[in-house]
Amino acid sequence: MTPAWTILSAFAGALLVLLLPARLAGASRLVALIASILGAVAAGVACLERLAHPDAAVWESNREWIPSLGARLHFAADGLSLALLFLTGVVAIAGVLFSWNVNTRPRAFFALFMTIIGGVYGVFMSRDAFLLFVCYEIVILPKYLLIAIWGSTRREYGAMKLTMYSIGASALILVGLAVAYAAAGGTSFEIAYLASVKYPLALQAWAFPILFLGFAVLAGMWPFHTWAPTGHVAAPTAASMLLAGVVMKLGAFGALCVAMPLFPQGFEQWSTSIALLAVIGILYGALTALAQQDLKFVIGYSSVSHMGFILLGMAAATHWGLRGAVLQMISHGVIAGLLFGIAGRVVYERTHTRDLNELKAFDLWKTLPGAALAFTLATAASMGLPGFSGFVAEISVAIGLWQTYPWLVPPVALGIVITGAFSLRAMHKAFFPERNVGDAPPPTLPPLTGSEKSAIALLLAVSISIGIYPKPWVSLIDEGLRSPLFQSILAHP
Amino acid sequence: MLLLSLLFSPLFAAVLLGTWPGLTARRAGMLAFTLAWIPLILVAMIGFQEGASWSLPWMPDAGIHLTFLADGTSSLFLLLTTLVTLFSLAVSVKLGIGDRAYFALILAMEAMLFGVFTARHFIPWFLCWELTLIPAYLLVRLWGGTNAPRAALRFFIVTLAGGVSMLLGFLALQLTVGTMDFDALAHLAADKQLASELAQGFSAHFDGPTSLLIVALAVFLGLAVKIPIVPLHAWLPDTYAEAPTPVTILLTGLLSKMGVYGLLRVFLPIFPEIFPVLAPWLAALAVATVWLGAIAALAQTDLKRIFAYSSVNHLGYCALAVAAIATSQGDRVAVSSAISGTILQAFNHGVIACALFFVIALLESRSGGKRGLHDFGGLRAKMPMFCGLTGIALFASLGLPGLSGFIGEFLIFNGVFGLNPWSAALSLVGLLLTAVFLLRALRKVFTGPLPERFAQWGDLSLGERWLFAPLIALIVIPGIWPQVLLHFSNSDTLRLLELLRPTP
Amino acid sequence: MNVSALFMQLLPEAVLVITALVLLGVAVATERKTGRSFSVGSATGIAASGILLALLALGRVPSETAGSSLVLLDSMARLGKGVVLALGLLAVLLPPGQKEIREPGEVLALMLFALTGLLLATGTNHLLFLFVALELASLSLYLLAGFSRSARAAEASLKYFLFGGVSAAFLLFGLSWIYGFSHAATLTDVALALKSGVSPLAMAGLVMVLVALGFKLAAAPFHYWAPDVYQGAPATSVALVSAASKAAGLVVLIRFLQIGFAAVDGSAAWGSMSAGWSLWLAVLAAVSILFGNVLALAQSSVRRLLAYSAVANTGYLLVGICANAPASTGAALFYVVVYGLATLGALSLTASVERHQGNDSPQAFAGLVHHSPLQAVALLIFMASLAGIPPFAGFVGKFAIFSTAMAGTIRGEGSGITWLVGLASVMSAVSLYYYLCILKEAFVKESAEVRSDRLSPGHALAIGIPAVALVVLGLFPSLLLDPIARAVAESLAAR
Repeated sequence: MTPAWTILSAFAGALLVLLLPARLAGASRLVALIASILGAVAAGVACLERLAHPDAAVWESNREWIPSLGARLHFAADGLSLALLFLTGVVAIAGVLFSWNVNTRPRAFFALFMTIIGGVYGVFMSRDAFLLFVCYEIVILPKYLLIAIWGSTRREYGAMKLTMYSIGASALILVGLAVAYAAAGGTSFEIAYLASVKYPLALQAWAFPILFLGFAVLAGMWPFHTWAPTGHVAAPTAASMLLAGVVMKLGAFGALCVAMPLFPQGFEQWSTSIALLAVIGILYGALTALAQQDLKFVIGYSSVSHMGFILLGMAAATHWGLRGAVLQMISHGVIAGLLFGIAGRVVYERTHTRDLNELKAFDLWKTLPGAALAFTLATAASMGLPGFSGFVAEISVAIGLWQTYPWLVPPVALGIVITGAFSLRAMHKAFFPERNVGDAPPPTLPPLTGSEKSAIALLLAVSISIGIYPKPWVSLIDEGLRSPLFQSILAHP
Repeated sequence: MLLLSLLFSPLFAAVLLGTWPGLTARRAGMLAFTLAWIPLILVAMIGFQEGASWSLPWMPDAGIHLTFLADGTSSLFLLLTTLVTLFSLAVSVKLGIGDRAYFALILAMEAMLFGVFTARHFIPWFLCWELTLIPAYLLVRLWGGTNAPRAALRFFIVTLAGGVSMLLGFLALQLTVGTMDFDALAHLAADKQLASELAQGFSAHFDGPTSLLIVALAVFLGLAVKIPIVPLHAWLPDTYAEAPTPVTILLTGLLSKMGVYGLLRVFLPIFPEIFPVLAPWLAALAVATVWLGAIAALAQTDLKRIFAYSSVNHLGYCALAVAAIATSQGDRVAVSSAISGTILQAFNHGVIACALFFVIALLESRSGGKRGLHDFGGLRAKMPMFCGLTGIALFASLGLPGLSGFIGEFLIFNGVFGLNPWSAALSLVGLLLTAVFLLRALRKVFTGPLPERFAQWGDLSLGERWLFAPLIALIVIPGIWPQVLLHFSNSDTLRLLELLRPTP
Repeated sequence: MNVSALFMQLLPEAVLVITALVLLGVAVATERKTGRSFSVGSATGIAASGILLALLALGRVPSETAGSSLVLLDSMARLGKGVVLALGLLAVLLPPGQKEIREPGEVLALMLFALTGLLLATGTNHLLFLFVALELASLSLYLLAGFSRSARAAEASLKYFLFGGVSAAFLLFGLSWIYGFSHAATLTDVALALKSGVSPLAMAGLVMVLVALGFKLAAAPFHYWAPDVYQGAPATSVALVSAASKAAGLVVLIRFLQIGFAAVDGSAAWGSMSAGWSLWLAVLAAVSILFGNVLALAQSSVRRLLAYSAVANTGYLLVGICANAPASTGAALFYVVVYGLATLGALSLTASVERHQGNDSPQAFAGLVHHSPLQAVALLIFMASLAGIPPFAGFVGKFAIFSTAMAGTIRGEGSGITWLVGLASVMSAVSLYYYLCILKEAFVKESAEVRSDRLSPGHALAIGIPAVALVVLGLFPSLLLDPIARAVAESLAAR
C-alpha cells in the first residue's frame, strides 16, 4: 500500500457513492467509512514504514501532465506529509462516524465529503505548485454545498462567506504563484525548483505577503479569520470537523511549504508582522470565545486562537517553531474534530440547542455522562494540559518563539491562561450547569450510539498518544523539515 | 517494569470500571477497592527492591525523557498514596457515596499521583501534576455539596494558574539552560552554574540572580498554591468543605502532599543559589501560614472547615522546615533533621487527616449531614469507643509525644531552631493555638449535655472499627518507632544534603 | 496560386454555403407541410451534418497549400476554424425555441452563413477581405438576434445593428488609415512597413480597429449591446455570438496585433509603461473585468448575467493577449475554447429551464437537482468552470493565462503586469459569488412542484458535450493546450 492509496481511495469512494442506486443510498455511509479507513490505514502503514526505514527513498510519483505550462503530476510523501495524511485519515473516519445519522441525500453528502478528503490528501502530497493549487481549490465547492445544504444556523450566509473568503484567498495565492513561476522563467511549477531560484529582494518583499496572505486566510489568521467561526457554526458536524480539523491546515501547510520556502527573504522581512498578527489572533480568539453563548461559536473562536500558534511557530522560523507548528496542525486537527463532533453531533442532535444557557435545562452530565466525560477530556486537551497533544505542540512553539521573539512569550502565556478560562467556562456551563433545587428535572436523552463512541475514542486515543509519546511524530516531522526546502527559512537550524 | 505497572495498574482499573457492563454503584466500589490493593502490593515490592525506574524518550533531541524513578522518599509517598486511596475508597463504599465514574476517577487520580511522586523530569512530573486536576475537579464538582460547582471551579482555575506559572518557569530553564531534568538542574545548581547559564540565556536582559529569582518565584507559586501557603490558600476551605468527605481525604491527604514533595525534591535542590535572597521571605510566609491556619480554625464552627484550616496549619510546618533549610549555613545535623521532619510530617499528616475527616464522615452520616461545632455534644457517653479513637487522632494531630504527629513536628523544630530560631519561636505560638482549637473541638463534640436527638445513637459498628484500626496503627507505630519510616528516606536525605552543601 | 488550391482551401466554407442553400431550399419546399418539431429536427440535422462535413473538409486540405495572402491556412487558422466549427456545431444542436421561431430552416441557414463569415475571418491576412468576412458574419448575426418576434428581440436586434454599424465604420476607417500609411493590403506587409518607422496615422488606425474588435468581442466599454442581445435573442443565436464569434474575433485580434502590429506593442508592465497596443489592451481588459463582474452581481436574469460574465471573460482573454508572449497567446486561445464551451452549455441549460419555468431568473433554477440531477451536475460543471474552479477546464485556462501572462512580462525586479493579473484574479474570485447564487438555487433550494425535465436529443447533446469536454479538458488540458501552443508558435515564428 503506497501513500497513493489515500487519494485513490477517497476519490474512488466519492465516485462509488455517487454511482450507488437509489435503493442502496443507505449503504453510502458504509462505502465512505471503508474508503476513509483504507486511506487512514494506507497513511498509517506508510508512516510506520517511514519510521522503520528513515533513510529509505521517499515515495514519489512524478508524471507528465501539462508540458506546455510545465505542470507535472508530482506527488511525494515525506515524513511531514505522511503525518498530515494520517491526521486527515483519522479525521475522515471520525467524520463519517459522526455523520452516521445523515439521512437526507446521503449519497450526495458522502460523495462531497470524500471529495474534500481527496483534495486534502492531494494538497499534502503535492510537490508541484500547480497541482497543489488544483487540489486546494477542489475542496471549495464541496465545502459550500455541504454547509449550504446540510448546515444549521444561518447556513447559506455562513457557507457563502466561507466560500468567498476561500476563493478570495485563492486569488492571492494564484497571483503569488504566478509571480514565482514567471520570475523563475516560466518553465516549471515544481516547488523544489521554484524554491531554488534566487528571486530579487525587491520582488520577494511584495510577492511574499501576497502569497502568504492567501494561505494564511484559510489558516484563520487575524484579522482575516471571520469566516471561520460563522462557517464552523453553520456547517454540519462532519463539515465543521473537516473545516477546523484539516481544511484550515491546508492554509497552514501552504504557508509553510510553499509561501515561506519560495520567498525566504520576503518572509524574513515580514516575519515580525506575522508573529504579531498571530499573537493578536491567539488573544483575540480566546477573548472572543470567552464571550460566546453558542457552544459551537466558542469552539470556532478557539480554533482561531489555536491556529494562531501554528502561525506563530512558523513566524519564529526555528526548527522548534516549525516542528511546533506542524505538531499543532495535527493536534488541533484531532481536538477540534473531537470538540465539534461532541458539540455538533452528540449534543445538538439530542438537545437541538447549543446555547450555553439553554443547555442548563438538560443537566448533561447526568443525562449524557459519556459525552460529558469526553468533552471534559477534549477540553483538557484543548487547554493544552500535558498528556494531550496540544501540550506537546504548544511547548514546542513556545521554545521556538523564545529563540526568536522572547518578548512575545508573556502575551502568549496570557493567551494560554485565557484559553483555559474559556474552555472551562464552556465546559462548565454546557455540561456541568449549576442547577437550583426547583428546576424541572432534565429530559431523558438517548445514550451515545456505537458510532459516536468509536469516533470519540479514536480521536481521543490519537490526541493522548501524541501527548504521551510524541517521539514518532516528532521524528516524522523532523524528517520532513530536513528537506532542502526549509533550510533557507530556518534562522536557527 | 515494576514502576510501569504501578503507574498503569490504577489506570487499567479505572478503564475496567468505566467499561464493565451493568455495574451497580456498590459493586463498582467493591471492585475498585479490590483493585486498589494491587498498587499497594507493587509499592511494597518496590520498597523491598529499594527502587525502580522506567524511562521513555519523549522529545529526545531536547533531552526530554519521561523518566520515572522510585527511590526511598518516593516509596514513602507512594505508600501514603496507596493507603489513603484505599481508605478513601473504603469510606466511600461504607457511606454509599459515588458510582462507577466516581471510583474510576479516584483510581485515575491515584495513577497521576504515582507519577508525581516518581517523576525525575519536569515534563512527566508536570504532566501528572496537571492531570490530577481533572479527576479532582470532577470529584468535587459532581459529588460535592450545594456550593461545589463554584468551589470546584475556583480550585481548578487557581491551581491551573499556578501550574502555568510553574510551566513558564521551567520553560525558561529549558530555553536558557537547555534541560528540565531535575537531577541535571540540581547538579548545575550545586556547581553554582545555574544562575550564570540562565543569565546567558536571557542574553543579559537580566543578571543571573534576578533571572533565577524570577524563575524560582514562578515555580514556587505553582507549588505554594497546592500546599497551600498563605496568601494562596483562598481556594482551600470552600473546596475541602464542599467536597464529599472521602474526596476531602484525598485532597488533604494526597494533593497537598504534592506541593510538599515538590518543595522538598524539586525546589530545594534546584534553586539553592537564590536562597539567601528568598529564605527570609519563605520563612515569613511559612510562619504566616502556621498562624493563619490556626487562627482561622479557631474562628470556624464547621468541623470540616476547622480541620481544613488545621491542614493549612500543619503543612505550614513543612514550609517552615523548607524555609529553614534554605537559610542553612552548613549545619548538617539541623538540616538533616529538618528534611526528615518534613517527610515524616507529610506522611503523618496524611494519615491523621484521614482519621480526622473519617470522624467527620461518621458524624455526618449519623446526623444527616450536620457537622457544625455546636450541633453535637456529650457524645462520649453514647460512643466511648468513637470518642477514644477520635481523641487519639486529635492528640496525634496536635503533636502529643508517643503518637506520630509528634515525631515529625519535633524533628522539624529541632532543625529549625538550629537554623532559623526566630521563625521557630514564632511558630511555636502557632503550635499552641493548634492545641487550642483541636481541644475545643474535642470538648464541644464529646463533652457537655447530650442533645435529645442523639439519644439513640450507638457506638461504632464493627466495620467502622475495622476502618479505624489501620489508621490508629499507623498513628501509633511510627510515633513509637519512627525509624520504620525514616529508614526509607535516609539515603535520599543524605543525597539532598550533598546537593545543598554550603558554598566553599 | 492556382484555382484548385484556392478551392481546396475554401472547401470547408464551400460546404457550409452549400448546406445553407440546401437548407433554404428544403425550408421553402416543406414549409407548413409537416409538424414543426419534424422540421426543426430535420433542419438541425442538415445544418449539423453540414458543419461536420466542413470540419472533415478542414482536415483534408493539404498543408502545403497554406500561405496565400488572401486566404491562408496556417496552423493558427486551421485551429481557429476547427474551434469555430466545433462551437458552431454545438450552437446549432441547441434547437431554436419552438414558440419563438417559426422558420427553423432560415435561422439555421443564417447561422451557417455567419459561421462561414467567421471561418473566413480567422483565415485571412488581407485587410479588406477581413472586413468583408467580418461583416458577412455580423449581418447574419444581426438578423439572428431579431429573429424571434418579441419586442425584446426587436430591440436587441436594433441595438446590435446600430452598435455594429458604428463599429463597422470604425473598422473600415481604421483599415483605410493603415492602408494609407503602409500602402499594404496584408498584415505581413503592414508589419514590414512598420519596421521602417511608425507614423501617428498607423497608430490612429490601430486604435480604431481595436475599438471595432472590442465591440465584436464585447469588451467594456464597447459592450452595451451584449446584455440586450443575450436576453432578447433566441438561445441559438446567443450561443453562436457568445462562443464561436468570440473565438473567431480573438484569432483576428491575435493576427492583427501580434503579426501586423508586433512592432508597436508598447508595454503594460508596472513602472515601465509605454504607449502601444499592449497598454491599451491592458486598460480595456481591466475595465472589462471590473465592469463585467461588478454589473453581473446585480443581475436578476441569468442571460444578462451571462452577458456581463462574457464581458468579464473577454477581459481575461485580453490579459493573455496584452502580455504579447506566445505562451500567453496560446493560453488565451485555450481559454476561449473552454469559455465558449462553458457559456454555451450554461445558455443551453438556461434555455431548458426557461422552457419549463417561463423565465430565466436564478429562482427559476430552484430545486433543479431534484427535477434532473444530471442537468444540475452539468450546471455545476459550467458554473465552476466559468468561476475557474478545478478540476474543470476553466480553472486551467485562467491559471494558464495569468501565469503565462506574468511570465511574458516580468523582468528582474519589475512586477510586470501583476497589477492586471491581480485585479483579474481577485475579480474572478468575486465572480464566484454570482455563479454560486445560481448553484445555490439549483442545489440548496427546494421547489414545490415535482416534474422531470426531458430534453430533445439535440438539446441534451448541447448540454452534455460541453460538460464532458470541460471535465476531460480540465483533467487532461494537454489534449488541447499542446496543439494550440504548437500552432501559435508556428504562426508567430514568422514575425
